[in-house]
Formats: sequence, structure tokens, C-alpha cells
Amino acid sequence: MRRVMLALMASVALAGCVQQRQYADVEFTPPQGDYKLLVMRPDVSVGSVTTGGMVEPRADWTEQARANFLSALRAQQASRGGNAFIMERRDSLAGIDPDTIAELDRLHYAVASSIALHRYSGDYLPTKRNKGLDWTLGEDAVALGQKTGYDYALFLYAEDSFASTGRVALQVLGVAGCFVGFCAPNVGGGGQFGYASLVDLHTGEVVWFNVSQASSQIAGIKFGDIRTPEGAAQMVDRLLARMKPGRNVRRRESAR
Amino acid sequence: MNAQLSRRTLLGGAGAMAAALSAGAANARILPKDMDPLIGPGYRAVDQDEKGLWQLMDRVEEEVSGSNLMIKDEGLKNYLRDLIGNVGGPAAKDMRIYLARIPEFNAMMFPTGFTVVFSGLLLRMRNEAQLAGVIAHESAHFLRKHQIRQWRDMRRKTDIFSFLAMGAGVAGGAAGIYAGDLIQLAQFGTILSLLKYNRTLEAEADAMGLRLLAEAGYDPMAMSETWEQLIGELDMSAKYRRKHRDRDFSLFSTHPTPDSRMADLKISAAEVRQPGKTYDAYRDRYLAALADLRPTLLDDQVKLNDPGASQYIIDTLARDGWNGLLRFHEGEIWRLRNSQAKDDETRAAQGYAAAVMYADAPPDAWRWHGVMLLKQGRAAEARAAFTRYLQMSPNAPDAALVRQMVAS
Repeated sequence: MRRVMLALMASVALAGCVQQRQYADVEFTPPQGDYKLLVMRPDVSVGSVTTGGMVEPRADWTEQARANFLSALRAQQASRGGNAFIMERRDSLAGIDPDTIAELDRLHYAVASSIALHRYSGDYLPTKRNKGLDWTLGEDAVALGQKTGYDYALFLYAEDSFASTGRVALQVLGVAGCFVGFCAPNVGGGGQFGYASLVDLHTGEVVWFNVSQASSQIAGIKFGDIRTPEGAAQMVDRLLARMKPGRNVRRRESAR
Repeated sequence: MNAQLSRRTLLGGAGAMAAALSAGAANARILPKDMDPLIGPGYRAVDQDEKGLWQLMDRVEEEVSGSNLMIKDEGLKNYLRDLIGNVGGPAAKDMRIYLARIPEFNAMMFPTGFTVVFSGLLLRMRNEAQLAGVIAHESAHFLRKHQIRQWRDMRRKTDIFSFLAMGAGVAGGAAGIYAGDLIQLAQFGTILSLLKYNRTLEAEADAMGLRLLAEAGYDPMAMSETWEQLIGELDMSAKYRRKHRDRDFSLFSTHPTPDSRMADLKISAAEVRQPGKTYDAYRDRYLAALADLRPTLLDDQVKLNDPGASQYIIDTLARDGWNGLLRFHEGEIWRLRNSQAKDDETRAAQGYAAAVMYADAPPDAWRWHGVMLLKQGRAAEARAAFTRYLQMSPNAPDAALVRQMVAS
């Protein structure tokens, strides 16, 4: 996860703000009505930013955030009307070997890394120009769809971090310095990052990909907190709520 | 705040600082007798930072254990588990060991007590005692809580650096002095001191590994042998590439130099070795456990196309006696490099010809022996070699082609 995350983070401007950027297959129509969605085990982690700027993972915060994220996801899916199954563990899907799920997770990780590199990090590929989102998980995903009857698989990643007291103190010192001519107001520290990736299990293609980032350059100022139920719901909303159709679909709609 | 570490800083002003840091208590040998385990059986993370690390590492282990890079041979897995169970000290029963198919000399311990051993390490070890030495070293990292200690050290030093840097900046700003250069120097000092802590932990693991090895009844000298072999291999590899072995400036490296590790290990081993005792290296047991995998290991190594290293490894293994498999792969090294100026083909042909004199020569040795004979115009002998190949491996993918060669 680290590599995708770093590549994606580097791509989003450093200014303190909340932003999302999504890409879709040109023929993508957001799933509606009676579809069956399989949500792969969401990867959630929460850490604390040390004074020196390192992120220290926190087990208790992570568990709390994971639980809230899962219930927010359940509520969000219930409101969409689709038939969604959320995998809390790799072995939660009856009849499917957890190793098969793990393999698909790893395959998706490789594909997501490629999307991060070529769509978000600026290393654009001429062969993919004007093609919207043109990546696939191939036969493995199709096989899972045939075996389970699901129409889509959704891969989710969410992380959050919080400035420690020391980091905030450093920030205060940096701002205080502005009055004596050594100004370091942008210490930064803490922020949210996540991505969602929707795979069509009939074709194996990644049809929609969204990255959300929320951070500030001032340590101690936050745009959400996925440890709380509201914050987790906000993160789910940022990741999944505004799914746009693909380019060709939009053109046909506006031509009508 | 400028967080860039410029090359100029590295080369220039940092020299004095570096000298100050590395002087003094830098390189004293750590004694095996001082290395007591810091954890007992069934250890679990206690503190908040360690719990976070463990949770993260559980995910890592899930990925590692399921990775298709791992060698799934049950017999070998049991053998390795028994080995770590033998040299793992109080945590022996808690540790897990995974074998990855990567043709490099490496092994690593993770904070939660699982270790990943690269297949290239197994290839290079001459006997069980040598392998047990490396595994004891990795176990020591866990028993001495090295990962969390290192994390805390890093956190503490970067914390201090951040405050000092910010403080210096603010003070400098108030006094009207530009503190940028000073800050860069301090940052350089922080980095150097982090690396030094890492080297200290490696030295600790060497010392404690030695003690674990001796306590399990192995010859503690096996560990310095391993380093001797590694140094020899690096030298040979560089020589064949017409280069010198990379002697990292030790101030910048995360591990002590192989040479100093070997020296320290030799002295320490002499301390813990029991005089008059004869030690068994358990070579036979090691060979038996590795028998099925060895052809793959040799093949992976040879295909790295690092002839100096490959030849050194084969020569090292052959110190315990040549066999058909080693001779065959010796031939392969030169066939794959295929330098006409250096007449590699002749060397390869000699390797195959030597290989087929041993009863355990693999079928491919006969095949390549036949090809080389054919090239030398010795058709009748080549036919005999091909016939032998077909007898040993009648269903080989190229059997039809070879049959054709025999017939024509």
C-alpha cells in the first residue's frame, strides 16, 4: 500500500485542502438499481505523527476507525439500493478460498500502483490518452464473478493520521518564529488519504477509480477524523458518493 | 525550514562533525556474555507504539506468508522450523520462518518474530551449523527487541532534531543570523547517528547469535566462516567484472563491514567455544533437507550471470567434495557468459565432461556434453551422450529433437 499511497500523495498539490480526483472507463455508468456488489476487505490504518514527522501506527485507533468505516460503508450502501456484501475478513465469503481473495487483492494492488503512476503521478502514457480508465484485472476477476454471481468488486483503502502534541508544539514554535523573522508556518502533519477502485466482474476491467485526500499544512488542524462515526461516514462519502459516468456516456447524455 | 541534505554539505562542513561522532565509543566489540534475551516465551507487544507496529506487521506477515515467492516444500519448511526452534532461545517456539525464492544472500527478522530467509542463503551455506548461525543472528534481533528499539531511537532523534532545528531557526531569526547551514549540519549528524545505532544493533545480534549457536551445541566458529565466504564471493564477483569490491565508507552504512564483523565474530567465537569439544557441523542432515531444492538454487544463481560469484559459490561448496551437479553448473556458468575472447565454450565443455564422470550428473549434463562433443566433431561420442540423456529423461521437452540428432 505504501507505494501507491506515496505516488498518489505526491500527485495531489500540497495546499491544505480536501480534494478528490476520479477517473472512469469511457463507457462507465454508475451502478444503479438491482446490482450485486462485493466489497473487498477494506484496508484501514491510523497513525500518529511524531514531532520529527514520522507516522507511528496506532493499533487502537486503527481498530476503532475500521469498525466505524465498515458501519459507515454499510449505511451508505443500504441507501444506494444495491445488494452489497462487505467482506470483513478474507475468509468471509463462503465457498471461496481466502487465498484466491488474497491473490486478487495483490493483483489489484499492482494494477492500482500502475493507475497511480500513470494517472495521478504525471507519468502519462500516450497509449492511454483519451481512454479514460483503461486497466483490467483480467480473467481472475471474471472467474470470481462467475463463481459468486457478483456484478462488481470494490477495493478500498483509507488512512488517517493525527499530529502528536510534540508536532503541534513544533508548529506553534514555527508560527511564533514568524514574529522574529524565521517563519516556518507550514510544519504540517496529519491528514487523510484514501482510494476506491471499482472492478466490473463481468469484464474484469477497473471501471472507476477515485482518490481522496484531506490534509492541512498546519499541524493540529484537521479535515475529518475517521476514528469517529461521523468522520468515517464523511470519508466514505468522499470516496464513493460522487461517482460520475464515463466520457462517452456523458457526451451521449448531453447530446440528447 | 530547508530539509534538503545537499551534496555540498555532505562533502564540506560535515567532515569535522563526522569525525566527532565516530570517535570514542564507536567500535568496541560487544561481548556474547552480555547479551541476555530481553523477552521471554509467548511475548506480546506491551506499549502503545509497539502494539501499533505489531498490528502493521501482522498484515505484512499475512502478505509474506501467502506470497507466491515463498517455497512451499513441506519437508524443508519443517526442517527450518526445527532449526529456529533450536537456536531461537526463549522465543524459539514463537518464531515463524519463511523461505523466499530469491537468489541473494539475505535474511531478515520482523518485529513480531517472523523471519524471511532468501533461497540464495541456503545455497551458500556449506552445512547446518552455518545456516543455524544466520538464523541465530536473526533470532537475536527479536530477542533483543531491536526493531522497536530502533524505531524509538529514530523517533527520539528526529524529534530532538526538529525542535533543535526550529529552535535554532527562531533564535537565529531573533538574533539576525542565518542558521540554515547549522541546521543542515545537525540533520547530517542525526542521520549518521541513526546509522550508527543500526550498526550497534547488528553487532549485538552477531554477539547474541553466537551465544545462541554455542548454546544449541553448534560450533560458534561457523558464523565467521559465513562472513569469510561472503567476503570471498564479493571479491571474486568484483574481480570478474574488473572492479573492486564496494567497500562502503563505514560511517554511512547500516551494517558493520563484513571484514570487521568477521574479525569480531572470530574473537567472540574463541571465547564461547568449549576447548576440547568436537563439534558436528551436521552437513549430511543439511544436504538431505536441501536435496530436492539444490538444482533450482544452483540454476537461479547461475542465471544471475555473475560468473565470479557463481564460480566462487560452486568452489566453496566443492570444498566438501565435487559432484555431478556442481560440475554441471560450473559448465553452465561459462556457457551462459559465452565470451568468445575468453574461450568460455571450452570451459563449459570441460565442466560438462567432468560432470558426466559422476553418477549423480543430471540429465542435462549429458545433453550439453553431447552438444559440445558434436561441436568438436566427435559425433559417435555425442550420440552416446544423447542416448544416455534420453534414457534418463525420455519425456524431456526436447526429446524428439535429440532423438533426431541421434538418428542423423
